[in-house]
Amino acid sequence: MNPIDDQLNRLFLAARKGDSPDLAPPFGLETRALAAWREAGRSEAGILDMGILARGLIVAILIMGASMWPVLHKTTTDPLSEYMQTSDTTLASDETP
Amino acid sequence: MTDAEVAECLARGRDGDEKAILELFHYMYPHVAKLVQANLPAKESAEDLIQKVCIKVMSHLNQFSGKVPFLHWVSRIAVNTCLNQIRHEKRRPEIRLADLSENEANVVEHLATAPDELDASQKMAASELVEKLLASLKPADRLLMKLMYLDGHNVQEIASLTGWSRTLIKVRAFRARAHLRQHYTLLMKETT
Repeated sequence: MNPIDDQLNRLFLAARKGDSPDLAPPFGLETRALAAWREAGRSEAGILDMGILARGLIVAILIMGASMWPVLHKTTTDPLSEYMQTSDTTLASDETP
Repeated sequence: MTDAEVAECLARGRDGDEKAILELFHYMYPHVAKLVQANLPAKESAEDLIQKVCIKVMSHLNQFSGKVPFLHWVSRIAVNTCLNQIRHEKRRPEIRLADLSENEANVVEHLATAPDELDASQKMAASELVEKLLASLKPADRLLMKLMYLDGHNVQEIASLTGWSRTLIKVRAFRARAHLRQHYTLLMKETT
């Protein structure tokens, strides 16, 4: 009797598919493949658009913040300066006989 | 088609030239068809799986970086798709002599008793017998055995097709071969 490994090797050798498959793509596959490529390109463009939108939003927030900063800064400093001015006035009026 | 030509086709495709993309498709199709035919899961139609792989490749075409040859990149997608399909199949228990057709049983008997190769009429039965034997293996082991013994790829080629390390391939091949040997020995015991 032949050894098991030899039998397995011969079995695999016999089972090897010699015939090459049909090299022409089936009808319609070309169109579907092209459509898949177009679709992928479109979704990539969509992702790119989203990136631009996000960047635009960040720039808009920065511009808004920069333009509001002086106004906010003014409102925070004004009460103090007004208070100081009031205090000075009060002191000045206290000293007057 | 050289890598430079592939890169040129891709660049033309990015500029909207669909003819270039079709050139790439026709270039890769025979390669995909051959790989899928060789590693086809038992219950899957070859045409369906070839289409699936082609669509997958075309959908990811813009992600091809050119760091590896184009056909290697395509092969890896094809092999991994086949492997995923094989994973969906349930492993069958070990086969018994009663599970074999008359022709398959004749093949086993011929291999055991005669030293000559199987003739053309027995090749179909041999192919079916191999499929039945391989079905008892784990999906990855089954794919490896097909790549190694049916397609005739060496370890290096399998490593580039699957992304597995050479050591892993050798360990898997050794384990799978031992498993097949064990199964085949059981079959032989039944025939004698």
